Amino acid sequence: MKESKLGWVARRGTLALLGLIWLIPVYLLLVNAFKSTDSYDADKIWVPDKSFGLFANLRDAWDTVGLGQSIASTALYSVTGPALAVVIGAMAGYAIVVLRLRAGFWWFLLLFGGTVFPTQMLLIPLFLGYSWADLYDRRVGLVLIYTAVSIPLAAFVMRNFFTGVAYEMFEAARVEGASTWHIFRKIYFPLALPALGAVFILEFAFIWNDLLFGLTLSQSDPVRPVMTALSALSSAYAGSSVPVLLAAGLVMSLPTVAVFLAAQRMFARGLALGQF
Amino acid sequence: MTATTSTGPQRSRRIGTGWSALGFISPAVLVVAGLLYAPFLYTVFYSFTDYDGLTSPKWVALDNFKKFLDDPALTTSIRNTLFWVVGTTIVPVAIGLLIALLSYGIKGGTALRLPFMLPYALSGAGLGVIWGFILQSDGAANDLLHFLHLPGADISFLQQSPYNTIAMIVAMTWQQSGVNALLFLVGLQSIPTQPLEAARLDGAGGWKMFRHITWPLLAPLTTVVVGLSLVASLKTFDIVWVTTQGGPGRSSETLAVTMYRDAFVSSDYGYGSAVALVLTLVTGAVTIAYLRFQIRGQEKLR
Repeated sequence: MKESKLGWVARRGTLALLGLIWLIPVYLLLVNAFKSTDSYDADKIWVPDKSFGLFANLRDAWDTVGLGQSIASTALYSVTGPALAVVIGAMAGYAIVVLRLRAGFWWFLLLFGGTVFPTQMLLIPLFLGYSWADLYDRRVGLVLIYTAVSIPLAAFVMRNFFTGVAYEMFEAARVEGASTWHIFRKIYFPLALPALGAVFILEFAFIWNDLLFGLTLSQSDPVRPVMTALSALSSAYAGSSVPVLLAAGLVMSLPTVAVFLAAQRMFARGLALGQF
Repeated sequence: MTATTSTGPQRSRRIGTGWSALGFISPAVLVVAGLLYAPFLYTVFYSFTDYDGLTSPKWVALDNFKKFLDDPALTTSIRNTLFWVVGTTIVPVAIGLLIALLSYGIKGGTALRLPFMLPYALSGAGLGVIWGFILQSDGAANDLLHFLHLPGADISFLQQSPYNTIAMIVAMTWQQSGVNALLFLVGLQSIPTQPLEAARLDGAGGWKMFRHITWPLLAPLTTVVVGLSLVASLKTFDIVWVTTQGGPGRSSETLAVTMYRDAFVSSDYGYGSAVALVLTLVTGAVTIAYLRFQIRGQEKLR
């Protein structure tokens, strides 16, 4: 495939120009997140200045909305939720495919159907139920819901994965007298780890970025997740300066940006399979 | 429920794993039923009541839905949601396709795509923070338009409706185009090279090639990309909540924001549930209509 010189230049030129336009918000974010609150001037947002205020800005955000505790809590949610979900999801896939659960496909549909309706359909009863069960504004409550919303994708991927594993392996282990739990733990679960890792990373990013469940099911600084804290920081009542807000936004975004850049392709695949 | 009838596979009866299978699937079923299905059913029930959290819910049949008709906040919210649907299913998909086509198969394509990929990793809240800053009155967006002598330099984007919604759709475009490009790229890579080569030998090039070969071959993927955008756009919440909180007034609310505000700011759980139910029904209807339309279109192609 040979392309003309003009075509070569035009393609790269257009892409580079569009790319530069796309980087403008990133540039503005970086430049202004690093400024100190005192030297920030709304008329000079386009130029960097000599002040280095990033750490002071973060400290400010720490004090205003307790960002440190939120980060610790969110780390807990976005690791525990998906970890529980992949184990539970793998068990479900194992039951359906390997143990040949009767009407397995319908059970699977039931699980996967859990992703179909919008989050908005869950919020009110969850809030009321959590208040009633004393789970509102508790870390365990958030871990529970994040686990629940992560299970359908895990079950989906695991059902597909185990379908591709030779059944003879199970039979052989059975003949040796191994229990179904033993076979799951020693053979099938370790086998599924790479696929489960992919699901885990997708769910990690999803939960890290979640705003709505955090907003609805928590309120105190130590319990609420980072995006909810960021939302509180950005509301007019917090009265934070622009650099403080941008610095907080920048740091809160780093984990998912890092994960995403490391796993671009996987995300594209995961997106396609997660929604349909 | 051990496999006793003849329907189950022979092996599972011989090995005797019926109870065990139920044991393995029950954690998933219990959690999903308790935390996803039960709340869903409760919301349906609440939408026909006047529940406010204090007195026990009283059945009011369709009153909540009738109230929609003379609720100006809801009308605005529906209009904005339509804006979101149209805006984010067309612009980011088109730009994504453009980026994918331009960067497909060229050396350094990954690096050239990076600027578009970065925004995707941002959360809706992070997006709201950055664009709230850019779009503020006399902010960066105004500066830029002023510098380029374009109209709109004096508009306070976040203060005026419908500019606030349109401006946030621009922000969403900035975020979504990259991931759409990535999806299209996966599609382009899966296109067999023979038809492309054959067309090239026949002298087709550029636009003709795209129109008659690439575009039809990409059709299934376009269905997916547009479908994803469609479903996501109907549920737009995070960016609006962080950028404008649905304001000023209630002028930039989407259905998802209206639902949240009615339920958790006004404690009107019955009405909030009704909005959620309508949102769900609309999402479902649009998705089904869209998929049927697409499937019919693709059958015609064959």
